[in-house]
Amino acid sequence: MDAALLEQMLLGALLALSVYLPLRCGQLSLATPGFYAVGGYVAALLSTGVPAFAGSGATSPLPALLAEMALGGALAGLIALAIGRPVLRLRGIYLAIATIALVEILRVLNLNLPFTGGAMGIFGIPQPFEHAGGYVLFTLALLAVASWLCQRLEALRLGRAMAAIRDDELAAASVGIDTPRTKLIAFVASAVLAGITGALAAHFFNSWNARAGSFDASITTLAFVVFGGSRFWLGPVLGGLALTALPELLRPVGDLRLILFGAVILLGPLFFPQGLVTAERLRGLAAVLGRSRGRGHQAPQTP
Amino acid sequence: MDLIQILVNGLSVGAVYGLFALGYTLVFSVLGVINFAHGAVFTLGAYFTYLLIGGAVGANGLLAGFQLPVALPFWGALPLAGLGAALVALLVERVAFRPLRRRRADPLLALITSLGAGVILVNLIQLLVGAESYAIPTGALGGLPASFPLLGARVRTVQALLLGIAVLLLALLTLWLEGSRNGKGLQAVAEDPETAQLLGIDSTAMVRLAFGLSGFLAGVAGGLVGLSVSIAGPYFGIGYGLKGLAVLVLGGLGSVPGAVLGGLIVGLAEAFVPADWSGYKDAVSYGFLFLVLLLRPRGLLGRPLPTKV
Repeated sequence: MDAALLEQMLLGALLALSVYLPLRCGQLSLATPGFYAVGGYVAALLSTGVPAFAGSGATSPLPALLAEMALGGALAGLIALAIGRPVLRLRGIYLAIATIALVEILRVLNLNLPFTGGAMGIFGIPQPFEHAGGYVLFTLALLAVASWLCQRLEALRLGRAMAAIRDDELAAASVGIDTPRTKLIAFVASAVLAGITGALAAHFFNSWNARAGSFDASITTLAFVVFGGSRFWLGPVLGGLALTALPELLRPVGDLRLILFGAVILLGPLFFPQGLVTAERLRGLAAVLGRSRGRGHQAPQTP
Repeated sequence: MDLIQILVNGLSVGAVYGLFALGYTLVFSVLGVINFAHGAVFTLGAYFTYLLIGGAVGANGLLAGFQLPVALPFWGALPLAGLGAALVALLVERVAFRPLRRRRADPLLALITSLGAGVILVNLIQLLVGAESYAIPTGALGGLPASFPLLGARVRTVQALLLGIAVLLLALLTLWLEGSRNGKGLQAVAEDPETAQLLGIDSTAMVRLAFGLSGFLAGVAGGLVGLSVSIAGPYFGIGYGLKGLAVLVLGGLGSVPGAVLGGLIVGLAEAFVPADWSGYKDAVSYGFLFLVLLLRPRGLLGRPLPTKV
C-alpha cells in the first residue's frame, strides 16, 4: 500500500476520534470538518505567509509544523469554547443540525474572507517531510498519543462522567456531575484534535481550500464512527482507516466506485448496528488472548 | 433592482426551500429522523421532468442520446415526475429505513443509511446521464409569456409559478392532514406510533405515506427549479437540501406551516443580501438558524420540547 494512502487513512482515523469524543458523552456533533478546515488554514497561512514558519519555501522546519499544529488546535478550541455553551444546550438532532450550520458558516467564511485565497484556496504549502513516509510516522505517533489519551479517559473521573451523561444526562446531573462543563470539555477537545489534524493535513496535501470542511465531510466522518463503533476508541480508529481506504481500493471498478461506497455506507449499519468494535467482541478477543497466554504459562509444566 | 423584483425572487426561492423542508418535516414527524437522501430525490425529480418533456440525454452517460418516445407539456410532466420521485422515496424507505425500524436500531443510524442511499442515487444519475447541466426550455410552458408586468415591475412567469404551486401544495397538504382519515392517521403516528398502532392505525403504512408524499413534493420542487434555473448536474440538490435543513429547524421540526414560513423568511433574507456581499449569501440561512436555535430551540412555530424524566 502506498504511503500517501496510508497517511490519508491515519488522518481519517484522527478525525474519527474527534467525532467520537463528543459522542462519548452522547453529543452528536458534526462540527469536526469545520474545525479541521480552520486548523488547515492556520497552517497554510502561517507557512506560506510568515517567514519564521516558511523555512526555505519548499521545505519547512519541523518545529514550525509543531507550532502551527498548536496554534491551529488552539484557534479551533477557542471557537468551540466561544460557541460551546449555548450550542450544547441543544439535544440530539438539533445539535447535529446546529453543528452542520456551523460547518457551513465556516465554509462560506473560508470561501469569502479576503486572505483565504477564495475558491482556489492556498497553494504551495511547504513540506516538513521529504517523503510521505515521514508524514506516516509522524501521524502514527500523533494517533498513538490521541488513542492513549482516549484510553486513559476511561479510567479518569472525566471519562466516567462522560459515559454517565451518555447513558442518562438527567441521572448524571442528579448525582452531582457538572454536565454542561463535561460536555463543553468533550466538545473543545474534539475541536482541538480536529484543528491539529487539519494543520498537519494542509502540509501533507500541499494546498488547502474551503472544500476541506463541507457537509459531505461531516457525514463521512460520522460514518467512520458509526462503522467502527462508538463505544470504544478502537472503533472510530478502525472505521476511519477502513472507510478512507475504501474509495481508493475501489478505484479499479471505475465509475461504479462511489455507488459501491454508497452501498457500503447503506448496508454497514444494517448488518453491524453497533459498529465493528463492540464490548462483546472486545471481551471475546481478550478471552482468546488470555487463553493463549494461559497456555504459554502452562507449557513448561507439562513433562 | 427594485423592491417588487427582489420580493418575488426571494419568495420564489423561499417557496422551493419550503417545499424541501416540508418533505423533511413529513418524514421527521413520523420517524423522528432526517432523511439525507431527500436532496437526491429532488434532483431525480428535475431529471424526470426533463426526460418527460422530451429532453434528450447528453453524450456522457451510459444512456447517451436516450430520449423518451413521448414529449409531454410541462403541466403533464411535472406531476408524473413527482410520482416517479415518490416511488424512489418509497424505495429509499424500504432499503434505508424499514430494516432499521424492524430491528429497533438507534435512529441515528438512519442518518448514515439514508446518506448512503443518497450517494448511490446521485452517482447513479452521474453514471447514466453524465455530469453536464441540462436546461428545461421555458418553451415547455406552452403559450405563457416568459415574464409579465406586476405593479410596475417585470416578474418572470417561472418564479410566479414556483410560488403559486408551493402555496397550492401547502394548502392541499394542510387540508388533507386536517380533514382526511389518512391525514389524521399520519398525525396520530407522529404523536405516538405505539398508541396509534393500538388504536388500529397501520403505522408502517403511514410511514410509507409520509415518504411517498415527501418524495412527491421533492420531485415537483426539483422540476420547478430545473425549469427556473436549469439542472446544474447530479449534485445540484445538495445545496438546496442543506438550506432545506436550516429552514426545517428554523420553522420548527415537524411543523408544516413552520416549514413554509421558514422557507419564505430565508428566501427573502437571501434576496436582500446586497450584491457586494453575495459570496456570503449562503451563510444567511445558517446564521439565522444558529440564532433561532440559540434563542428559541424549538423553532419559530414548533411545539415546546417535552422533557423526559
